[in-house]
Order: sequence, then structure tokens, then C-alpha cells
Amino acid sequence: MTSLDHGKFTRVTTYFHTLLALDVFLLFFTGYSVMFNDELWWMVEFMGGNASVLAIHRLAGFALIALTVFWVTLLLIGPGRRKNFRAAMPSRGDTEAFIQDVKFVLGRADERHPNARQFAGYESDEVPLLSYIGKGVLWIFTVELVLLMVSGLLIWNKVGLSEFYQSKAVVMGFVTFHGLLGVIMLMGVMFHIFEHGFHPAFYPVEMKAFIAKDAMPEHEDQDDDEDHEGTGIERLSLRPSWGLASNIMGGAVAIGIVSVLLASIFDEGYPVPRELAVGGGPANLLLTVGVNIGVFVLLVGLVLSTYGNVLRSRYESQREREEVAAADGGEPVDDD
Amino acid sequence: MSSSDDADGLSEGLAVLISGIVGIVVALAAVWYVTGLGDASTEELYRIDLTTGGGELTGVGADWTAGNTDPLLDLLVALTHAADVLMGAFILLMLFVHWGAFRRLASRMQEPKRSPSEEGVAADGGQRTDGPKSTPSEGSGGDRE
Repeated sequence: MTSLDHGKFTRVTTYFHTLLALDVFLLFFTGYSVMFNDELWWMVEFMGGNASVLAIHRLAGFALIALTVFWVTLLLIGPGRRKNFRAAMPSRGDTEAFIQDVKFVLGRADERHPNARQFAGYESDEVPLLSYIGKGVLWIFTVELVLLMVSGLLIWNKVGLSEFYQSKAVVMGFVTFHGLLGVIMLMGVMFHIFEHGFHPAFYPVEMKAFIAKDAMPEHEDQDDDEDHEGTGIERLSLRPSWGLASNIMGGAVAIGIVSVLLASIFDEGYPVPRELAVGGGPANLLLTVGVNIGVFVLLVGLVLSTYGNVLRSRYESQREREEVAAADGGEPVDDD
Repeated sequence: MSSSDDADGLSEGLAVLISGIVGIVVALAAVWYVTGLGDASTEELYRIDLTTGGGELTGVGADWTAGNTDPLLDLLVALTHAADVLMGAFILLMLFVHWGAFRRLASRMQEPKRSPSEEGVAADGGQRTDGPKSTPSEGSGGDRE
């Protein structure tokens, strides 16, 4: 059976998602290895030292501004894009979807709400462009990116800023503000990796953000005419490694989120000079392990994003072969 | 797709090209602007020595203290800490909700099939099958495709 859950994004959107992901991962790896230096000192060394890490961070920051402005402009002038803007607006269904999700986990609802459903299967017509989580991610990203870009640009030239305020400590305050802001995104991205990598029907990666609308077949499901109850998820078989992998990743994401949150309080850097204790706070072993687990989660995300693109490319070449076969006059062969 | 959505009737390719150029130009202009702010001239820096506590503290320490006690920045940092903690708690809740939902969905799916490696490979490196599939008349001879 197939599901047409994916194929909601255009080709440009899928490429944009990949580029943004790569860029944000690069910003996380460089930025937080500096901010959480007590825990991630080895990453700074690994990436060629402080000067090199900050140079990469600025380059990636430049790319982030270019990508974000590109996206906003495209939303305004691109064909058919404005209706996507409306589709991304929060609605009543989103609150209901959240409540129903909680009920679903507690066993008080039989299905997830359409606005929450990732695997829709037979009921994919009911599923909106973005789930309530997808909308949340989009809006949090928008607000965060704007604030991060503005604060990032302000601290780009520290001499200029310190001249403006006539104070070096204020400039450090801006650096801290910039780092603390990104923590929300850091935690959100860890969750995003779990949400789209470890859904039992899609594990190890959900292809929604990789396979574009135009690459989806018009009709793939011979059962289209039949009437089905539910999504049909019971017809899919689970991957053998899902249980172990999802538990390990779920645990790692939880530890990662808690650790970076604690580290952001201990290692805030401002107002560090109150005690003149560089690095700030207790550098303890548990926190170090936790923050490193968080970075491991990000690494898994980077690998899954790359894997999604490998699968996309494999899928597209397979489709091409089928089309060539059909154009020859033969029938495309289903050889599985 | 309604026609009112197609602003100016631009094609996707042209829209992408224009947006790409706008993105790069804005990024270049932003970086150019901030790097041009201020010069490293010490004439401009710290022309006024900061004092805090009504002039009790002056000199190097006064700079740190003044920066640390800037009310607007203190407020911003405190607000951001609060936002981090609130959002962190919410994201954790969402993680556990999804983790639980995924487990419930997984329980509806079919048990994993045996992987090909379990049934496909024999100890001598060949392929293990469920038994001879050939009929007696085809059964003689060596390796065949």
C-alpha cells in the first residue's frame, strides 16, 4: 500500500528545507561549542580552534540571512505561495489536535486528530499542509530567526557596538542574549529530529520534506475505490530495530533538551564577569555527558537529513526508469 | 490555486531567481552595514569613563559593572531565560506525547518481518532457501541461473 502523505511540498521547498537544515546544524555546532565550551571544548579543537569556529559561524550566519530573505521574498512573489501562508496560520483545529494527542497517549481517543496526523494513509485527504507541530515549528523558527539574525548582526562588529554603548560588558550581554535565544531552537530541532525520524510508519526518516509534489505519482494505489476505515497503518509492518532505536533516541532527546537548558543557565556567560569566573557555573561530569548527548542527537539529525536526500535521489531515478520503460510501449514493471 | 495568488503571474523559476538575488543582496548589505559601524579608533572608544553607584566605582571594574547592570539587557537576558525554561518544558511535554503516540501507533502495526539476512544467508556463504524448488526433471546439473 502507499500513502500520499508526502508530496505536499514543492521541489523548491524541499531543497530549501535541506539547505536550511545544513546551515542551522553548522550554526549550532559552531555557536554552541563556543557557548558551552566547558562541555564541548573538543568540538572547538576539532573544528580548528576558536578563530576558525567563529569564522565558520559568521559564514553560516551570512548564509542564514540570505536563505531567510530568499524564503520571505519567495513567499510574497512566488506563484501560489500566499495560500500556503494562510495554511500556516494557527487555527482552532490545532488546539483540538494538541488536546486529542494527549488523550490519544492516555488511551482516551482512538485516533490522532487530522491536524496532528503524520501518517494519514487512506485518509490523507483530511490532512492539512502542516500539522499543528509543523505550524509551531514554522512560527517559532520565524520569530527566533529574526531575533537571532538581528542580535547576530549587532555582535558581528563588536567594536562598533561597544563604541555605541561605551561598554565592553554590554557587548558580552548581547552575545549572551544571542546564545540564549538559540537554545529554544536547539531544543526544538532535537524534538523535530525525533518527530520526523522515529514515527513507526516512517522510521528512519519521514520523506515529506524530501520528495516533492511533482515527483509523486498521480495514482499509485489500486485500492483507491474501496472504502477504508482508518488510516490503514495496521497493514504496515514495523521495522525490527524501531523499538530499540526509538527508545534510545527518545531518551537521548530528553537528556539533550534538559542538559542544554541547564547548561544555558550555568554557562550563560552574562553576567559572568560578576564573579570573573570564565565559563561560569559548575562544570560537572553529568552536564558534560548530557550536552554531548544533545550534540549526538543533532548529528543523527544531520545524517538523517542526508539520508532523506539519498532516498529522494534513489526514488527519482527509480521513477525515471519506470517512465522510460512505459514510454517504450511496455508496462512499468512492479518488481518487488 | 486561484489566480489572485499568482502575484504578477511570475513563474516558479523566475520567482526563485529574483528571491535568490534579493536574499544575497540583503545579506551582503546587512553585513556591509554592520561592519562599517564604528571604527577601531580609541579616540572614539570610552571617551567617557563609566561610573556606577553614584560615582563610587570608577575605572576598569566600573565598565563591567555598568554593563552588567544595564537594566534593558538584564531584562532581556532574564526574559530569554524564562522563555527558554517555558519552551523547554513545553518541548519536553511534546516529546513525551509523541513518544507515547508513536508507541501506541506501533502497537497497531504488524510485527517486524524477519530480515533477509536471517533467512537468506547460510554458513557457507551461499543462500539458504526453504528447500529445493526445482522439479525432478530439472533437478540435475550444476549451477543455473
